[in-house]
Formats: sequence, C-alpha cells, structure tokens
Amino acid sequence: MSPGEGPAPRLRMSLVALVSVALFASLFARLYDLQVVGSHTYSVQAEANRVRTVQLPAPRGRILDRTGKVMVDNRVAIVVGIDRSTLDELPKSRQDAVIDRVAVELTAAGKPISPDQIRLRLVDVRYSRYAPVPLASDVPEAVKIFFDERAAQFPGVVVERTALRTYPFGPLAGQLLGYVGKINETELAAEKGQKAKPYALNDEIGKTGVEEAYEKYLRGTPGLRRIEVDARGNPVRIISERPPRAGDDIVLSLNANLQALAEQKVAQGLLDARNRVNKDGSRNAAPIGAAVVLDPNNGQVLAMASYPGYDPQLFADGVTPAEQAYLNNPANHFPQNNWAMQGQWAAGSTFKLFVGYAALMAGVMGPDTVFADRGGYQIPGCTGAKCFRSNAGGNAYGNVTISRALTVSSDAYFYNVGAQFWLQQDRFGGPEGMQKYLRTFGLGAKTKIALPGEQAGRVPTPNWKLDYGARTHSDDKWRTGDNVNMAVGQGDDLVTPLQLANGYATFANGGTRWVPYVAIRAQAYATKKVTKTFVPKVAGKVNLPPQVRQPLLDGLAGVPRSGTAAGAFAGFPLDQFPVAGKTGTAQVQGKADTAVFTAFGPLPAPRYEVAVFLQESGFGATAAAPVARALFEGLSGISPLAPVGPDGKPRAPGVAALTGTGGGGYD
Amino acid sequence: MARGALDFGNLPSRDRMFRTARERGKREESLFHPRAPAAWKHVDVVLLACACAVSALGALMILSSTRGTDPGSYDLSFLRKQVLFIALGLVSMVAVTLIDYRRLRDWAWLPYGIVLLLLALVVSPLGTERRGTQAWFQIGAFQLQPAELAKVAVILAVAAALATAETPLRARRLGAALALFGAPAALIMLQPDLGTALVFVAIAMGLMMVAGARARHIVILTAAGVLVVVAVLSSDMLAQYQRDRLSSFVAQSSNGTITAADWNLAQSKAAIASGGTSGEGLFEGTQTRLGFVPEQHTDFIFTALGEEMGFVGSATVLGLFALMAIRIWRTAQIASDRLGTLICIGVLSMLVFQVFQNVGMTMGIMPITGIPLPFMSYGGSATLASWIGIGLVLNVHMRRFG
Repeated sequence: MSPGEGPAPRLRMSLVALVSVALFASLFARLYDLQVVGSHTYSVQAEANRVRTVQLPAPRGRILDRTGKVMVDNRVAIVVGIDRSTLDELPKSRQDAVIDRVAVELTAAGKPISPDQIRLRLVDVRYSRYAPVPLASDVPEAVKIFFDERAAQFPGVVVERTALRTYPFGPLAGQLLGYVGKINETELAAEKGQKAKPYALNDEIGKTGVEEAYEKYLRGTPGLRRIEVDARGNPVRIISERPPRAGDDIVLSLNANLQALAEQKVAQGLLDARNRVNKDGSRNAAPIGAAVVLDPNNGQVLAMASYPGYDPQLFADGVTPAEQAYLNNPANHFPQNNWAMQGQWAAGSTFKLFVGYAALMAGVMGPDTVFADRGGYQIPGCTGAKCFRSNAGGNAYGNVTISRALTVSSDAYFYNVGAQFWLQQDRFGGPEGMQKYLRTFGLGAKTKIALPGEQAGRVPTPNWKLDYGARTHSDDKWRTGDNVNMAVGQGDDLVTPLQLANGYATFANGGTRWVPYVAIRAQAYATKKVTKTFVPKVAGKVNLPPQVRQPLLDGLAGVPRSGTAAGAFAGFPLDQFPVAGKTGTAQVQGKADTAVFTAFGPLPAPRYEVAVFLQESGFGATAAAPVARALFEGLSGISPLAPVGPDGKPRAPGVAALTGTGGGGYD
Repeated sequence: MARGALDFGNLPSRDRMFRTARERGKREESLFHPRAPAAWKHVDVVLLACACAVSALGALMILSSTRGTDPGSYDLSFLRKQVLFIALGLVSMVAVTLIDYRRLRDWAWLPYGIVLLLLALVVSPLGTERRGTQAWFQIGAFQLQPAELAKVAVILAVAAALATAETPLRARRLGAALALFGAPAALIMLQPDLGTALVFVAIAMGLMMVAGARARHIVILTAAGVLVVVAVLSSDMLAQYQRDRLSSFVAQSSNGTITAADWNLAQSKAAIASGGTSGEGLFEGTQTRLGFVPEQHTDFIFTALGEEMGFVGSATVLGLFALMAIRIWRTAQIASDRLGTLICIGVLSMLVFQVFQNVGMTMGIMPITGIPLPFMSYGGSATLASWIGIGLVLNVHMRRFG
C-alpha cells in the first residue's frame, strides 16, 4: 500500500483535537453557567441544607393586680426529656434499655409513662430534632439528682429547669385569669407564619381568660439558636444565638383584696340563700353567683367574681382525668365559666332604670307624672286571666312618680309604661320604641370586654319573637303583654352581670358607656418599663338631660334609704357614702328567683358600680343586696379590705391592721 | 519502501528518523537511541508540572472533604494515604519512563495478561464487593482496583498491536484490536462497572481513529456500541441504583425539589454552584465540610474544588487538564514513531473522556457513573494508572528525537 491510500492521520489527529476542545468547552460553559450565572439559586439550597433553627422557650409574663400583687407567677420546675441526637447514636438495644429504664424511673417518681409512649414521642416529627423531647414536667428535685448522678447510665436523658405557672392566691379570680396549656393543633395552625413570637409544639399558650386575651403581651419572645448540621443532621456547631426574652407582665385593673372580698361575699350570699327557707317551704339551690365591680369613670373592672370557682393550678400541674370530669360535669355548674360575663339572666326590676329612662325620653311619662298603683295592672284591650298583672308581693303603692316607682319598685307603673310603648307605638317610636332606649345602655350586645366567651344578653323585639317562635314552635306574635313583661325585666330579656353593671355605670357617670377592661398596662418583666398602656375606650354615649337623670337618680338613691334595699342597707352610713341602687328579683319558670342587686356610689360622683347576681336564691333585696352592701363596706373603708391570703380569701381583719396593707378604696 | 515507512509516511519531518529506526530494527535501538543523558533533557516539564499541580490540589480537596467537623481531631488518614498513592504514582511514572517505550512494546503482553488475569479473579470470590460492584481486591488496609490499571495496560497493548498495522486498518487487524479491548471490557462489565467500561470505549474510539480504521468501520462500530449500551441498560446487568443514577440524569428536576434519586446530583450541583466566582475558601465550603455530597472525596472531588475555590479555582483546574491534553496531543504529533503516537492518543482519550465524564456528571451534563477524576479523586489504583499514563507520554516525548 501507499501512504496516500489511508485516511490522513493529520485530519484524524485534528478530529481528536476537535472533539477534545468541544468537550472541554462544554465543561467550561457549564461551569460558568453554574458558578457565575446561576450561583445564587443553588447557594440558597446549600444554606438551607446546613442550618437548622431551634427555639429556646422564654418565660411568660406575670399577671399583677393594680396594686402590684402578683396573681400569676412563674416558678421553676424540673423537666425530664430525651435528646434524640444523642440517643440515636446508641445501638438499638441500648436505646431500648435507656427508654425502658427512664419509663420505670419516671413512673416511680409519680409521672407515669410507658416505654411505648416515650417511643411515640421520640418519632413525632413535630418535635424539633435539636431540642430535647419532653417526657415529664415538674418532677421532684430528687429525680433530677437521680438522673444527674447517673448521667452515664442514661445517655440522652436531659434534666432541665423550666418555668411553670403558679398562682399565689390559689383559686382567686381563676376564671378571669384563665390558664395556660400546651398549644393544640388548631392553635398551632392559626399561629403559623407568625414571625414575632413563633410557637413550637409543646409551647404554652393562654387557653382562657386574661392568659388568652393578653397572650401576645404575656408570651415571651423565644430565643433562636441557629445550628449548623452535617448531612446526617448531626449538630456541628452553634452559628448564632438570640437569647429568649421574657414576656411582659400584665397589670390588671383588678384589686386582689376587693376580688377576694367579692368572691367571699358571693359565696356567703349563696350559702345564706341555701339556708333560707322560702314561704312555700322550699330551699334555694343557689348554685351560681357572680359579682362585678366597675369604675364607672373609665370602665375598669375592679373585681369580677364568679361562683363556683376552680384553681387554675390544676392546669399548671397537669389536670387529671378525674379533675377534668369534675370540671365538665353539668352538676358542678362549670366552675371554669366566668359567670359574671358568660352567665345571662333576666334582669328583673333592675331593668326599670332603663325602662324609666325610655319612658321619660319618649314622653310616655313625665318626670312628675303621677301613676296610681293599685297593686296591679290590667293590660288594655286584653281579655283573659293573664291580662291582669299583680305587683310582685301584691302591694299597692298608691300614687307614684317615676322616682317613687323606682324606689319602691312599683311594677304597675312600669307595666303601664311597657303597655303604652306598644299600644301607642305611633307616638313613642314604633314597635321597638322602648328597646331603642334600652340598647343605648349596651343591653343586648356584648360590652366588648377583651376576654373570651362573653355573652351578649338579649333585648327581645317583635322580630326576635317571630324568629324564636318559628324555631321553637311556640307563640311568635309580639303582644302587649311582652312589652309589659319586659318593662319589669321579667320577659325574655337577658343580661349578664357585667352588662348590667356597665349599664348602671353609664347612668352613674352621666352617660358615657365605656368598654369595660381588665388590663391597665403591660410592662417589662424586669425593668417594669411600661410597654403598652390600655386606655379607656368609649363604646357609646347616652343622652341624659338633668330633667331625666335627676328623677331616676333620686329614685335609685331612695332604694337603700327607704326602698326595697332599706333592710339590707340598714346601718350603712349612707350619709357619708351615699349609694344609689336597684333590687331585682327575676322569676324563672320552675325555679327559684334570680336575686339581683346593682348599685353605685358614692353620690354625687360615683367611683364604684357593683352588680350582684345570685341564681335561684330568692329576692334580690334579701339575697343579693347584702352582698353588695358588704362590698360597699369594703369600698367605702367602713370595714377595710383585708389582704387576700394564699387560699384566695381575705385574711382576718386583724391581720390587715397589722400588715397595714388594708385600707379604704381600691388603691 | 519498507513497511514502517508506509505506516507513518505522512507524518511530516520525522520520516527519515523514523524510517531509520524501523530499518535498523529493535535490537539496535539502544545503540541509536541512547537512553541517557540526552533523553532526560527532553522531558515535557509542562505536562509534568500540570499533573503535579492537579495532584496537589486534589490531595488538598481530599483533606477538605474528609477531615470531618471536629476541630479537636481532624481525620488526616485519607490525606496520608493519598499522598502515599501520589508518591507511588510518581515512582511508577519514573519507572515507566526509564525503559524506552519501544522496548516496552515487546513486553506489552505481560501487563495486559496480568490485568486480564486480575480482572478475571476480581469477579471470582477473591474479589470484594462494594455498593453492588465487585471491583476490588482487599490487600490489608488497601484495595486494588484492577480495572483502573487495565486502562493503561490495554492502551499499551493495543498501541503495540496497531503500531505495525497497515492503513487503513484491515477488518482482521481491527477485529484483533477490538478483541484486546473487548476481553477486559467484558470482564469489567461483569463487575459491573459501566463507567470504566465506557473509558475503554473512549480509548478504543481514539485509537481506531488515529490508527487508521476505515470510516465505515468506525460508523458501524459506533452504531453497534450504541446498541450494546442500550442493551446493557435494558438488561439486568446493572444494579438498580446504577440505573437510578442514569435515569436521574435524564429526568433532572427543574422545579427545585429534591427526590431521593436526585439527591446526589442536586447536592453536587449545589456545592459547585455555591462556590460562585471565587469560592467559599479552603475548608470553608459548607456542603463539603458537612458532608452533604456523597462520595465526595472519590468520584465527586470536583464539587469540593468547585465550592471552596469557585469558578476561578475550578476553571484553573479544567485549564490545567486542557493544557495536559494539549501537551499529550502535541506529543502524539511529534512522536518519533507510530507506536508513540498511538500510546499518546490512548492516554489522551482516557484523560479527556474521564475528565469530561467525571466533571460533567458533577455538573449534571453527564449521567452519574462511578469513574474517578484523574489525579484528583481519592484512590490508589486510579492515581497509579493516571501517573503511569503520564509516564508513558513522557516516555514518548523525551524520546521523540530518536
């Protein structure tokens, strides 16, 4: 063969070179693309790969009363947990041995847990891998010492101190304060994406009351620890750490001493009611009671008592099934409910202030219009047995004006007002002419107090009855009798103690309806620096011209002096501390009456408004008024407020004198 | 004309010298081409320097990716071993250059036979299996991977076989040469090790091209090769994970999510890309330091370089590889005979393909197959093979004048 026959090696060598150049060129191009052009996208992924963030729990803010008494505090508790990354490095058999032994030790220490329960928690992906999985909290110090001394035998077991809620005054204001618990799925989902104070599984969150309502102040800002991890997720080092910051303290408008007095007096009132034998020989069940003390000048809640009570410490310690069953049993009247704003009853004669206001404003009655009370009222245009309404007690009060009608609680006067509003609705503002005025005092609507679970009460109207009748297949036609009933607070009207108190406070201060509130300010845990001041908010204004207000006020002022509450206030120095109020006795079908009393004082510039409700307890004058009187004695300084003891009850007055913390007024 | 002259008749300006050498025959070589001291003066310093630089960088990257995260006790064992491997490689390289490659040709059958035997033994129970591939002999603390050494042995054997062949290659000659490739490649596929087998294909293509195979033969063989690859992929010869690796290349996720199969590739790309232009700095790469890239010190060593040295560093290394390729190609051009040319082309094919395949796979432009990056990846056999390859080229280069 000759050289010319073969393919030219030169060409082929060039081909090899060409292929090589092409391959290298594509590598360079791709390298440039990845590192110079598209670097950022991938860097983000690499960063996400290596960094894990762990939350460090922060102590919750405390809850103080207005004088600085700590009502909800934190205490250090010991928590036993397991650090998964340490445990994972052990062989399987060793892991099982550790889990079994921990279960045995914790169960023996009074915190029962099974190995399977521990395993379930360990595989729960919602627990951070970089923080111990909690197994038992608030274990005795001896358990900590036990595990600390045997650290080598319990690899991965972590014993840490953490803050738990504690209540220096026991059950005092339990429903108002509320309690905290582990965040649940729903709450966790709701808080997802919240950046300022993010929640982790097992974090505590306010479940009810002030703890829930002021969660965002009370909750501490969790610390953040950024940990660098390797490809297997093992922590390598801490990149950065932001220490946890304690939540703010909430200072309440509540006065702990007054609260203790209110709770004690409500309980006492119910006890007295139970011991009283009614005319028909029956005894009162008196299961539920509530009292509210407001500052009528700004809407601050000074006391809010609800009976029966419970100790929120139950929840801090971990509520047992038996305790939970007790709290949820209707026979126990739901001790967790704050009946002062969640309970609603017919207002009884306490409604008459609002009806009287409506009558004067609409012109149904004049301030001096005299009405002849003959002990009852025949509803005009009505025929039948039910068309004649007697006064409660059957007394005839003779010729009464609006003032006298309030003082003696003349039903006939107000029956007539109710009837005229309906019968002459063309003159007096239409079918809801009366209700219109009632609503201006906030009746039938929530007061918008910043606490969960408040009820709205009810101001019945023809439309409401139409709807209600259709739903319950009962009479749906609004009749004159409905207006008549409502005029004395005996119909379908419902009020909460808070609502009633706020309505009277509105009258007391001359017409400003405040939004009641319980927290005055939030302040820093350590420095006490105020971080947020809660200012009074006006919910509405009531037009109270002097010619309207004065006769009504005169009527109420007569109640403790010479009216229905004269007995209850006998001996009370009304000259030094003038009080105006109204009794109420609301009839309930098939049950004993609801005893109601509400009052404000001292006149002429009231600083306190008190409302007391005692369910199934008899007459307002007999059962409820004495409770209110006892509160006014404390508020006026007649019998100085005794400091509250660790059982939530006032200590003996002698102790107050010794410590010097007692005294008139709430602050 | 003598046969030798025909063989390399169209290589310019070397004809005379070459013809002389051929005519004088093997026995006289030593007289006419004295080994020392003149030959040493013609060593390709650039090629040697490039290989040394890449090796040194490789050792550094191996340290970075294996030293661990505990500052109190860094793991230096991989670095120590790799340094030992490089030393062994340098010694082997020197040893290879000592003997004139034309003399080596007479003995080419010996290493070829040895690696063939080893390849046969490694798939027997004597070999050790790791991750589904039976490719190693466990010798004390070390593993010997005969497939790596087979690459250089085959280059030498095939170059020797084709050096004296007529051009264009006759079918029989071509068949014989392919058989020399086929035997070890088949044994390697038994392990199975697709990546290394593909290196053989690349070497075969390079050598056939330059040795003067007919164009139609090349076309036919390429088509047959594609068929074989398809057949292998659709057969059970590959383990599932190997097929997953290949398919994860085909279906690279573009939506940013990482499935288990894409993990390797995703982490690899993330590492290289996060290096950016100038890199995160030596020992600073988080992907590298924290072990996010699987097999990083071996097949994925380029990712450590990419992350810690950035575009500047990795482009420099690619440049060094390119410079090495240029030097080897140049040596092929100026070799004093056809044997030298073919040896160089074999080594060039091996180097270029491995660099392209390995670096390409770390960046997602080639499927993931387990072949090391020459001079950089951790591993004794591979390092040894790469340095022996360089030794062969240096051998040809320094004896280019005779």
